[in-house]
Amino acid sequence: MSEIGYLSLLLAFVAAIYTAIAFAFGERWRRQALLNGARTGLLATCGLVSLSVIILLYALISHQFQLEYVASYTSRDLGLPYLISALWAGNSGSLLFWAWLLSIFAAFVLLQKRSEGRRLVPYTSMVMMLTQAFFLLLLLLVANPFQKLTTIPADGMGLNPMLENPGMIIHPPVLLAGYVAFTVPFAFAIATLMKGGPGDEWVKAIRRWTLIAWLFLGAGNLIGAWWAYVELGWGGYWAWDAVENAGLMPWLVATAFLHSLIMQKRMGMLKVWSMVLIVLTFNLAIFGTFLTRSGVLSSVHTFGESSLGPFFIAFLGISLVGSFSLLYYRRKELKSDSEMESMISRESTFLINNLLLVGSAVVIFFGTMFPLISETIQGVKVNIGQSFFDQVNGPIFLAIIVLAGICTLIGWRRASAVKLARSFLWPLVTSLILSAIIFAIGVRAWYALIAFFLCMLVFFSILYEWFNETRARHSTSEENYLSAFGALLRANTARYGAYLIHIAIILIAFGIIGSSFFEVEKEAILKTGDSMTIGKYTLVYEKVNHYQTPSKLVVGAELSIYNNRKFIGRLTPEKYFHRSYEQPVTEVAIRTSPMEDLYVILGTMEEKGTTFKVLINPLVVWIWIGGGVLILGGVLTFWPERAKITPVLADAGVLKTQEDVEQTVEKGAINNQQEKRLACRECGAPFRERDIYCSYCGVRLKTNTRRSED
Amino acid sequence: MVKRKFVILGIILFIAVGYLGYTGYKSSATYYYSVSEVMKQGSSVQSDNIRVNGLVAPGSVEKEPATSILRFTLVEGESKLLVVFRGIVPDAFTADAEVVVEGYLDTAGVFQAHTILTKCPSKYVPKT
Repeated sequence: MSEIGYLSLLLAFVAAIYTAIAFAFGERWRRQALLNGARTGLLATCGLVSLSVIILLYALISHQFQLEYVASYTSRDLGLPYLISALWAGNSGSLLFWAWLLSIFAAFVLLQKRSEGRRLVPYTSMVMMLTQAFFLLLLLLVANPFQKLTTIPADGMGLNPMLENPGMIIHPPVLLAGYVAFTVPFAFAIATLMKGGPGDEWVKAIRRWTLIAWLFLGAGNLIGAWWAYVELGWGGYWAWDAVENAGLMPWLVATAFLHSLIMQKRMGMLKVWSMVLIVLTFNLAIFGTFLTRSGVLSSVHTFGESSLGPFFIAFLGISLVGSFSLLYYRRKELKSDSEMESMISRESTFLINNLLLVGSAVVIFFGTMFPLISETIQGVKVNIGQSFFDQVNGPIFLAIIVLAGICTLIGWRRASAVKLARSFLWPLVTSLILSAIIFAIGVRAWYALIAFFLCMLVFFSILYEWFNETRARHSTSEENYLSAFGALLRANTARYGAYLIHIAIILIAFGIIGSSFFEVEKEAILKTGDSMTIGKYTLVYEKVNHYQTPSKLVVGAELSIYNNRKFIGRLTPEKYFHRSYEQPVTEVAIRTSPMEDLYVILGTMEEKGTTFKVLINPLVVWIWIGGGVLILGGVLTFWPERAKITPVLADAGVLKTQEDVEQTVEKGAINNQQEKRLACRECGAPFRERDIYCSYCGVRLKTNTRRSED
Repeated sequence: MVKRKFVILGIILFIAVGYLGYTGYKSSATYYYSVSEVMKQGSSVQSDNIRVNGLVAPGSVEKEPATSILRFTLVEGESKLLVVFRGIVPDAFTADAEVVVEGYLDTAGVFQAHTILTKCPSKYVPKT
């Protein structure tokens, strides 16, 4: 059985190489037969990898312990969900999962009915198949999931109990799906560079893919943070650990990419920059995959040395050098269609936001890699602590949030600074009042106050914008406020989805500010009957509980929680002693409320008492709520937009929303520009008035008569 | 004209971030040594906040019942380092485990640790 699995991967590798070559030459020499063969090859690859996955899954579920992978990550007493999740729990399994997702996405790209980017598909598929071949090579040579053991163990080693948590079932596949999905826009970018041309087509073709990838990566990171909070139990959710950073960096650059795509779609600007960003995003995703597996960086998370390192470095090297060479070669064709008019405009906020996001990613990269750099230069490893990342990223992220607020209220092209200031009035007043209240209830840390104030300012700016647009629509239609808002949502899913995502980011920021600045911690050694106080809570240690399950012994310390004198609940932090696992696992107990989390960690139980570490983490729940809103907003951006104006009202010529007014004015402006936009008669590429030769096909342009030199 | 304003803005941002980075680095950079490297450095790293990596010597772990102070010896090959730690001991801490301690080397040559880091149980490598 497992031989078939391995053989299937080998065949898939051959098929992937063949497909890549067939697409390349089929496209270059325009041979339909080759292209057809390549199509079959791609689908065959997908089928073969899927077969391997099915075989491995079957082996996992049916406890085939002669396979090293099954013996290492499962045991007979493991429930079905965890048996399935063992597919991505181990190194080789997760690489197989990567390859499988990639083959599925490649099949989707091939078979998708598309109006845009059809001519790019062959080269796009080629790039995806080359990446596929890389992962299959790893699986075949260094990380074989079908490796057999010489003796068959009676039972497997079981899953690490810290991973027996629903968060840990979904975190890896969601994160991996995000990483893999960025291959698609990257492949389209490379295809665009290989085909040549003004580079507008790929932007429309990849919108949904980029959104999905970004959503998955963001959700994956948030789930990881949530799992760390409730399961790893140190009281925090993010430690700027190397592996965490590896997942954050591609997400930051991807956010920048999403925004620069919008600029490119609307204004024809930043074409080269968008390409740079997707190349970086994809390579950071591969780097992230690699960092989690090699011993390159000593982190509390990374897992031992492995021979994968050289392969990944080679792939990254080829990928980066190749992509940037192509980009350099084609850079003249990717000239912007229009230029930025004013610094006070929406475009400007997008550009600055891009700089900040990429800047943050660069800082995180250097901070993460610093131990390696310092070891090479100085001979000593220097560790960069959490405070470095907090200190640098705090202001950067706050600035990005402020930009989101300005962006909401500012217009495209040239905006009036006075009008902008005026539109901030109501949000400003509301935020100031609320900040004063926060100050009044005792918050004095000035940094936190400013951060809260700015977050609220942006929050209310977005709400204010919603209110204005709803009011504008309501005044020109029969709808009441609620249905006007609903209609706005349906008609502008992309924009309102984005607004919702910005709101989500603010909620998350809120939670981070609260828990970062106002955390309270206290340790105590208690005997049964003793109590301790922290903040407004009193915790009374009632008794010890024991119970057994088939796989473990659970010891719990029951505490009664009082708010001043009122009894409000019980918390029972526990320690698990697993049969098949040496070390005890601590299970923290958390009491969540909108204002704060009461977080109890059970320490050691000794003669003189039991050690408890208790924390108050303010506002943490808003991080998870924000995560949910993020996903909602993302889903909304996917929804197809209902027609903006119903036929009747269109005839009446009534403009329904401020956005429509904006758009009409904008279209007029672009039309004016378009009248001046000239196209080469030979190849159709745009050129500017002062160009003498077409930058794409090189022919001399005859319409250029402005120069007064001749 | 607008482009130049952006370049200037970019430079200002770069300097600002660079400054933040520098102060952040200063406040949080910790040298990371193995036990033998610390012994070689000796008094030159005394009272600096550093991290040391090594194995917990079997049989050297003592927990004082009265004060809950943990003492153990960190080893690497032939080099030994005495460590004193107060606080909640992580679950994965046992004899023969690979740990990283963070703290400072006091004048008596004993390492006063304020944090013990254990390797998160390996997910990608079988627990052999």
